[in-house]
Amino acid sequence: MSYRPPLTRTWWLKNNAFKAYMLRELTALPLLFFLLCLAIGLYSLGQGEQHWQHWQTVMHNPLVLLINAVAFAASLFHAWTFFQLFPRVMPIRLGGTTVPAAALVAGQWAGVVSVFALVAWLFWG
Amino acid sequence: MQQHDFDILVVGGGGAGLRASIAAAEHASDLKIGLVSKVYPMRSHTVAAEGGAAAVTLEKDSFQAHIEDTVMGSDWLAEQQVVDYFVRHAHAELVQMEHWGCPWSRKEDGSIQVRRFGGMKVERTWFAADKTGFHMLHTLYQTSLKYSQIERLDEFFVLDLVVIDDAIAGVIAIQIATGELHLIRAKSVILATGGAGRVFRFNTNGGIVTGDGMAMAYRHGVALRDMEFVQYHPTGLPGSGILITEASRGEGGIMINKDGYRYLQDYGLGPETPLGKPENKYMELGPRDKLSQAFWQEQQAGRTGRYGESDVVYLDLRHLGEKYLQERLPFICELAKAYVNVDPAREPIPVRPAVHYTMGGIMTDAQCETSIKGLYAAGECASVGLHGANRLGSNSLTELLVFGRLAGEQAAANAQTQDFASLSTMQEQLNQQQQQLAELSARDTGESWVEIKKELLITMEEGCGIYRTEAGMQKTLNTIRALQQRYKNVQVSDKSKVYNTELFMCLELGFGLDIAEATCLGALERRESRGAHQRLDEGCTSRNDEEFLRHSLVYYQGQEDARLEWQEVDTSILPPAVRAYGDAAKGAKS
Amino acid sequence: MKLDITILRYLPEQAAEPFSQTYSVPYDASTSVLDALTYIKEELDPTLSYRWSCRMAICGSCGMMINGKPILGCNVFLRDYAKTGMLIEPLAHFPVERDLIIDMESFLTHLEAVKPYLINKKAQGVQTFEPHVQTPQQMDKYQQFSNCINCGLCYSACPQFGLNPEFIGPAALTLAHRYNLDSRDQGQAERMPMINSEEGAWSCTFVGYCSEVCPKQVDPAAAVNQSKVTSATDLLLSLLGGRS
Repeated sequence: MSYRPPLTRTWWLKNNAFKAYMLRELTALPLLFFLLCLAIGLYSLGQGEQHWQHWQTVMHNPLVLLINAVAFAASLFHAWTFFQLFPRVMPIRLGGTTVPAAALVAGQWAGVVSVFALVAWLFWG
Repeated sequence: MQQHDFDILVVGGGGAGLRASIAAAEHASDLKIGLVSKVYPMRSHTVAAEGGAAAVTLEKDSFQAHIEDTVMGSDWLAEQQVVDYFVRHAHAELVQMEHWGCPWSRKEDGSIQVRRFGGMKVERTWFAADKTGFHMLHTLYQTSLKYSQIERLDEFFVLDLVVIDDAIAGVIAIQIATGELHLIRAKSVILATGGAGRVFRFNTNGGIVTGDGMAMAYRHGVALRDMEFVQYHPTGLPGSGILITEASRGEGGIMINKDGYRYLQDYGLGPETPLGKPENKYMELGPRDKLSQAFWQEQQAGRTGRYGESDVVYLDLRHLGEKYLQERLPFICELAKAYVNVDPAREPIPVRPAVHYTMGGIMTDAQCETSIKGLYAAGECASVGLHGANRLGSNSLTELLVFGRLAGEQAAANAQTQDFASLSTMQEQLNQQQQQLAELSARDTGESWVEIKKELLITMEEGCGIYRTEAGMQKTLNTIRALQQRYKNVQVSDKSKVYNTELFMCLELGFGLDIAEATCLGALERRESRGAHQRLDEGCTSRNDEEFLRHSLVYYQGQEDARLEWQEVDTSILPPAVRAYGDAAKGAKS
Repeated sequence: MKLDITILRYLPEQAAEPFSQTYSVPYDASTSVLDALTYIKEELDPTLSYRWSCRMAICGSCGMMINGKPILGCNVFLRDYAKTGMLIEPLAHFPVERDLIIDMESFLTHLEAVKPYLINKKAQGVQTFEPHVQTPQQMDKYQQFSNCINCGLCYSACPQFGLNPEFIGPAALTLAHRYNLDSRDQGQAERMPMINSEEGAWSCTFVGYCSEVCPKQVDPAAAVNQSKVTSATDLLLSLLGGRS
């Protein structure tokens, strides 16, 4: 006699928490595009100069640039959500007390900044 | 109709019922145990107990000291051999809870922490922050899942006991989800149905605390004992009645009136103890009846403040500091914020007394058995004789363990020697119940149960409050009897079978009316003041051991008015003496 | 002041489908949604059914959806809905029995499945009458996760449970994790098969809404995802033959 309310395809539009979740999961799509580009780039590099030049031209296409810019923003957003969740999933205890979540989040961002700095130094330093 | 057979049937899934079920399961693994409850076990009102559970723990403490505190707290109306048994078994039960995973609060070295509690001369209250009842109930519920021989019937409402030749035969219950009747046969039945605080308007109790089990046993001739002793907890939130634990005072909270004055020193509880240095049995750590009575006096003198519709005094915790409050009293902070919009670290909490606990109940012997063979009772619904005229805080959580276990073991031993009753005899009573329900359901016009309930709550508050008078109680008793007559023609508009919650609220009211009559009759006939029962009429304002060092026993008489008898009290360990707290206790002893 | 409250009702003996009904309820600053339901039941419509008891947010009976959010009815107040209005529905993702009463059986079955009790050889064997030693630091690891009141709000907040009712879900996984983290417990090996299974921790995709709606700040999402770490370690160890 019980009634089971149906779960519609649009369930995730019902509240902001679900929308934020879907947005976080959606970041996978532009990132996938970026990874494809990267994989093709590596492949082209192995195929000789002509292929490489061609890949570079494609990469300068405004649309490709735009999607990759979105992918960059998406990866930062995803990193932000991940860093927020990390202290809850892997709480770290030192000397009997839990390291404050804010410190762990800050530590992760410090890691990101240092990777950026390393890359910048490698290519432009 | 469905029929079930259990060796042991436990009615009520709160602390006492779960503890009894587990004890029965451990007593003999071949016994089939049924656990019937009108709510899922973790909804039971044990969940709302906050402060803690008492047991002699520290080196400086002793069994004798715990006995003295409990007996003095009871104003000498406790059964002293029962208190002795309780005190000796308390510690083992709390350790047993620890072995089942209860997260008792600890000291830095990992040993058990104890806190101060009202009326106790030594710190002996084990606690799990300020959610002790919650943690105990969930620990018991979760532990009960280990035992496959315990079969739960959740959301079954027991309508009546089946008694044949003064022995229990089983119960009749309705499955709330379907409205179907179930005839449950059992060799032993344990009632663990909790108190009856909901017959009062302003109370700390959950909606389910309606005295069902008490009324069922009572209607079958078991005496209700000491029902006139109704505990007012001094610190309920105005409006809702939500409980603010006594542990707030155990941790150092103080009570002040509207002028910021610590008024308790004027009521035999002083002298004033320094702020942040609570002293056992002084001031805020006096017993609950004394504190609630002091509120009433302040109210009469016009020294109470106002919150919404209520006169209030204030519980001041500010000096304890936010960090300590969050560690020791997190739930209190949450409740004060949600229900009166007060942050206890910054403002005093407005509070007033609220009905909290039914000291009396189904009379049992020291082994938890009632006058009906095979019928046991444990926990708040029972009067095993532990609390007398006033219960000490933190004795009842331990009680439901000690006597829940004892009832479970006794019921198991009884079941091993008994046979099931004959079904055909039981069937007759089932038919009767069925007919009564059908009549109730068929009645299209009649009295509104809502109106009867409202009148009952008001009259109980007027006649059986913190202070009572002959005229007030007589008026209330007359009103209750008139309401009982009106209830015979009560009407339920909801005619459905599935989750007919209106029907159950109406049936609960029927139980409540009988409990109210017993309570009021006991109060009227006890022409003295003792513990939680305080009278204002001449000649009744002090304790009168000569006439009333006795338990009241109220017997149901069907259509007639209930009948009262007196029963001797066991004072074999501590002879009656003056009940005094604060510095007055020193004078009393010498 | 009065507030119009719309309730999604379901009376299985009268109609196969739920329907909406609106009640006008007077309120003041302290009127909770549960108080409003009591008012409706006693003054306007005795057939309205809902579960309740403690009215102080500890018994876990009165979970319901209020304007689409899982909430305990006793813990929210009409004053906060004067502008938005109020729609009350039964908790999402559960079968509805009648009005605001949902079928809790699947929830209880999942709780029982994780062996939510202390498993300890010492406790089962000879009775010692000494408590275990457990320092506040050891308690701190699991204490938060022991505060679950089994209200079921997290299941209504969990789309994975909505899509697959076999998922044992946030509260049950939290309880399993609570015992796994308890220094007195030795039962982790018995609980891991359930946690590792398809219906266990790995069904969670860390939507995280369960923790947002939890009325007791238990943070079930953290517990479930910590369980994934435990589960991964457990699987890795068993692959390496590090565990018997």
